[in-house]
Amino acid sequence: MGQNNSLFIGGIAHLGNGKKISNSVISIVDGKFDIVADLSKIRIDPEAFDTIYKIYGKHVYPSFIVPNTTLGITEIGQVKATHDFDETGKVNPNIRSIIAYNPQSKIVETVITNGVLLAQVTPNGGLISGQSSVMYLNGWNWEDAVCREDDGIHLHWPSSYYNTGWWAEQGETKKNKKYKKTIKEIHQIFEKSLAYSKGNNIMDLKMESMKGLYNGAKTLYVHANYASDISDAIDVCQLYKIKNVVLVGAEDALKVSDKIKENNISIILNRIHRLPKNEDENIYAPFLQAKQLEELGILYCLSYEGDMEAMGARNLPFTAGTTVAYGLDYESAVQSISLNAAKILGVDNKIGSIEKNKEATFFISEGDALDIRSNNVTQIFIKGKSISTDNHQKRLFEKYRKDK
Amino acid sequence: MRIYITIIFLLLINFADAQKIFPIDGVEETFKPVFALTNATIFTSYNKVIKNGVLLIKDNIIIGVDSNLNIPKGAIVYDLKGDYIYPGFIDLFSDYGIDKSKINHNNNTNKDAYHWNQAIHPEFSTAKIFVSDSENAKKYLNNGFTSVLTHYQDGIFRGTGSLVNLTNKQGDENIILNQGATFYSFSKGTSKQRYPTSRMGSIALIRQTLLDSEWYSNNNRKANISFDSFNKTNLLPKIFDIKTVLNYSRLYKISDEFEIDFIAKGSGDEFVIIDEIIKTKFPLIVPINFPKTYDVTNPDDAQEISLSNLKKWETAPYNLKILNDNNIEFCITSSDLLDKKDFITNLRLAIKKGLPQDIALKSLTSTPAQLLGVENMLGSLEQNKLANFIICSSNIFEDGIIYETWSSGERHIVKEKIKKDIRGYYSLNSDEYKNYLVEISGSKTKPKVKINQIDSSSFITKIDKNKIIISHTNKFRSSSKIYEKNIIGKYQDENGDFHNFVMSFDSNFVTKKENFIQNLDTIVPSIWSPNKSYGLVEKPSEEKIIFRNATIWTNSNLGVIKNSDVAIYKGKILAVGKSLSVGDIFKSDTLNIKIIDASNKHIASGIIDEHSHIAISAGVNESSQAVTAEVSIADVINPFDHNIYRQLAGGVTSSQLLHGSANPIGGQSALIKLRWGATAEEMKIKDSDGFIKFALGENVKQSNWKGTRFPQTRMGVEQVFYDAFYRAKNYQKNWDNYNKLSSRKKRATSPPREDLELNILSEILNNKRFITCHSYVESEINMLMHVADSMGFKVNTFTHILEGYKVADKLYEHGAGGSTFSDWWAYKFEVNDAIPYNASLLNNAKVITAINSDDAEMGRRLNQEAAKAVKYGGSSEEDAWKMVTLNPAKLLHLDNRMGSIETGKDADIVVWSDNPLSIYAKAEKTFIDGRCYFDIDSKNEIENRDKLERNRIIRKLSKSKDKNKIKVKRKEKEKHYHCDTLDHE
Repeated sequence: MGQNNSLFIGGIAHLGNGKKISNSVISIVDGKFDIVADLSKIRIDPEAFDTIYKIYGKHVYPSFIVPNTTLGITEIGQVKATHDFDETGKVNPNIRSIIAYNPQSKIVETVITNGVLLAQVTPNGGLISGQSSVMYLNGWNWEDAVCREDDGIHLHWPSSYYNTGWWAEQGETKKNKKYKKTIKEIHQIFEKSLAYSKGNNIMDLKMESMKGLYNGAKTLYVHANYASDISDAIDVCQLYKIKNVVLVGAEDALKVSDKIKENNISIILNRIHRLPKNEDENIYAPFLQAKQLEELGILYCLSYEGDMEAMGARNLPFTAGTTVAYGLDYESAVQSISLNAAKILGVDNKIGSIEKNKEATFFISEGDALDIRSNNVTQIFIKGKSISTDNHQKRLFEKYRKDK
Repeated sequence: MRIYITIIFLLLINFADAQKIFPIDGVEETFKPVFALTNATIFTSYNKVIKNGVLLIKDNIIIGVDSNLNIPKGAIVYDLKGDYIYPGFIDLFSDYGIDKSKINHNNNTNKDAYHWNQAIHPEFSTAKIFVSDSENAKKYLNNGFTSVLTHYQDGIFRGTGSLVNLTNKQGDENIILNQGATFYSFSKGTSKQRYPTSRMGSIALIRQTLLDSEWYSNNNRKANISFDSFNKTNLLPKIFDIKTVLNYSRLYKISDEFEIDFIAKGSGDEFVIIDEIIKTKFPLIVPINFPKTYDVTNPDDAQEISLSNLKKWETAPYNLKILNDNNIEFCITSSDLLDKKDFITNLRLAIKKGLPQDIALKSLTSTPAQLLGVENMLGSLEQNKLANFIICSSNIFEDGIIYETWSSGERHIVKEKIKKDIRGYYSLNSDEYKNYLVEISGSKTKPKVKINQIDSSSFITKIDKNKIIISHTNKFRSSSKIYEKNIIGKYQDENGDFHNFVMSFDSNFVTKKENFIQNLDTIVPSIWSPNKSYGLVEKPSEEKIIFRNATIWTNSNLGVIKNSDVAIYKGKILAVGKSLSVGDIFKSDTLNIKIIDASNKHIASGIIDEHSHIAISAGVNESSQAVTAEVSIADVINPFDHNIYRQLAGGVTSSQLLHGSANPIGGQSALIKLRWGATAEEMKIKDSDGFIKFALGENVKQSNWKGTRFPQTRMGVEQVFYDAFYRAKNYQKNWDNYNKLSSRKKRATSPPREDLELNILSEILNNKRFITCHSYVESEINMLMHVADSMGFKVNTFTHILEGYKVADKLYEHGAGGSTFSDWWAYKFEVNDAIPYNASLLNNAKVITAINSDDAEMGRRLNQEAAKAVKYGGSSEEDAWKMVTLNPAKLLHLDNRMGSIETGKDADIVVWSDNPLSIYAKAEKTFIDGRCYFDIDSKNEIENRDKLERNRIIRKLSKSKDKNKIKVKRKEKEKHYHCDTLDHE
């Protein structure tokens, strides 16, 4: 399967960096983007290309990327045998999602067909759940599906408040009395791992895995939602001089936006399609958050964390669409699930936008891919290679449609 | 109405002649002196006062009360000049004197002669486990209570409670009424049986038990101890523990159905639905456990207190005033107070907030006495009544100090009376000090002393009758006696030497007496419906509107029409078409017509969610048994659920609230319109057909959690259905045979026992109730259709039906509709072949197809979910849109009045900013019955109002001087029902 040099002409190109070319020409050479231009402003020699795709009126997008997901390490919600995302134990920085990742998962192939071509496959549970890796949603095995191995460690910050009562007769939220104790534990973990990182020690798997936090090789993903928790988390990260910190969830981010901005911290937002966090919150709050962060100049991307996050990851583009309904500029919404995500996950050097010399990992949709009605992915390319758009569900559809 | 009152008299024991039955160790004290309490202000009843009155008591009885009474010779006289006497308070809701070690509930082994359910024990008698308990009696006596109606607070039918006095005497001597009332609740309490797991299960169990006991008594049966006891105690007052305010309407329905008068033990926040409380006409027993003051010093914490809790904190003290303003009869109880010491404080707070004092007294004395039919003994101070009363320093409702409470003639000292108010200025003289100025301030019972020339601080004294201990630094530690004009005693100086001293009275201390009346604060804060964020101040009005130039999704054969108008009037759609003329359509009624320019807007009928679990209280599943057709979601609608408002903002106007899917035959549904701010009853869609939930597959066979009840396989599920419907057929036959009898023969024959579960199953067989069946895989779908065909009924709707596409032709043939998820799958094994093309495939096969939410979040984006039928499977936009509007209306048999924009249909319409299937569309206005329940233009205004309200109350809280503030308490982060959700109380 040698690489083709191919040319795409006439597409409406959403570059992922906030720019759009309505009548574009895009060329791929050796699996990378080469020409990315306005068709009317450039002369192309078609002879130089093996394949020419005429995609007038169709939309071209860089890969959408779903961060913080169990996609590929879980298959069926209620079948424990298919769960490979939650290791036992509270502190598991050495746990690596990559080796459990199954690119042939039936779910994975239904996600790629909506334009989400990469995922940050992330373990879940405990205080430190382990290390994520950024994976292509295609491959023969995990080894050839990797985009960035062990990109970071996930710390689930304790919550200051917890819920009581039983669900129908609503209880009360109280302050988490274990909060301080857990914070102490976190301090101990960082204190120890920082010390370990400075010397030559006998192999300690957990400490070894955390070394990268101090030299910038790995990102610390801090999952926190309440404003005071976010603020505390930032303080701790500063104290231990952790190089790259990303907030995950961050429902209250607006309340501590100054501090987030000052410390140059970026955010992986909680699922846009969620309910307000309580009965008093603005009913639109989850829909408005992206626009508000955009205005503040904080780097953010969207996730699909929550119930059924693996199978639901295919709806990520539509959550971006919803942010447009609530005020975000369209190209910024595209960016929030492409280049922004690539930056936050540290892979923007090779993917995330349609720009010269980046990997040709992108897709073509018959219509607007952020709108459900018109999201119709007809061609997918990963590193310039065309990928099947078939999946388990389409096969069933075809079978039962024909038989009737 | 209350026929039981006359009966009570028959039960009266001759209390005036109590005799010792127990042998006496020693010599019997036979002498019963007469006590004469003189010169007091006596409230003989809540509305009658005697100044300078005399109260005569002998033994446990009042032998006289008046202003001019001859005091019998030899009477012991207490001069109560300046004091107040009130009738003793009566608490009707108490668990005083319960000896739990004596409780021996039946085990309901189904081999005994009791009711099968452990929570139903009407035979239980609190009198049997009652013991006098002087320690706990004090807690009541100290608050002025002299008798209480006590019962063991456990179970649904709790049995009888006893009215008792609070003396130290033998238990039987304290009992006024062995059986004072019977008690009930919706909570199964300590029962170890599974049934009921939900509130609706409790309601069904109550109804079935009431039916059974009637049937039992009509058939002259006696063997079952529980039914027999229930029937024997049926004429006693029935007191129902409401627990939460929404239970009022639930109880009212039972009361209405069975013609039972209940007395309701309330929740303390009746004000939030006062109109419903008025409607019930229940006399109430109301707690005054007002919410504690929140600590708002940390703004993060304060933010976590919900506005509904803040408003409740502010308004709860007005509850009694509001009840009284609405002429609701009530008693006050000290129950539910975490600390009984708060009772008097809270009572006075209620009075400050506008509860009239006479009503307060009435509700603590004569009302409870009347409700129990013991007004000849208790509730006022009259000759021959029980000597139950309170002695107080002054007005008990303002600042009076309770000195004594007498229960059944037994005196209990609450606080020693301080005869003299010693506060004022004195001159101190001793061999050391000459004319030192002494200032005695503080309260009458706890005076503080300051002798500036010795030390500038004030020192607390200890005062006991006429003795006072003043310790004022080491230079002055004294014990002394109080005389008329001076205080005389000895003090010890710092060297340990004693000195005699005299403090002689100079002048009165000028104290600023708090004027109670001036501190009244009777302006009730605004109460919203519901009383929380986004609550309504008033019900939206019915509007007359023409929307002009809109794109209208008619769902009729007109299709989607552009640049057209729609008019609404009197809750209905009046006309649809181009350039409607006001005169033509509104005729002469043209006043106040709103004309709304809807250019660039889309107007469509409101979304109908065929499968929803929002707005349900206390359990969506009665998961205890395989068949629970007797329970109904309609009994447990929660109109306060804020998801109603959120979904209005998503364009939803109607929902089917379904029972969960824990059992093959679940409970009945409720069909509601999302009339935010209305009551549960008002939300229901009138004259709609009845529906019921069935379920198949993993949930009913308990695959994903521990369970052992039958069935555990799909094979067993089939048998549950056959069994249920054969039972129903047999039941129906019995009734048919009975109903065919001549009226003479009917009288001679006992009717079959009415069974709520089988009633509902018979309705299904008679095409009067319709099934929505939770289903996933084709085998089980096929199976149920076979069961239905062979038993002679139809499955109206298969819901979820994720493999419906595999049997679409069979569904069509059977006549079943499908209500599916747009794209959910992979959450359990049985949904592995679920595909998002399902809706389109079903629709293509002419199956009436809907897309539903089953989820509070998705419920507010159903327009987006419908668009997935366009994306996957290629349905047309109009077809897709019908999947969330007209098609669910058809499945719910509501399409004659909802689901499309056609003249005469309900004005349940939504104005969208864009094509409603577009991801960029927002619902801008949502109308139900022509009333605007959501308007994007007033949303900001409401949010600002909520913010101001929050800040106003928080400011109030931060100024509050309450020392025992409590930390953040927000209503828990919401939990949301799906049909898999199991609940356990």
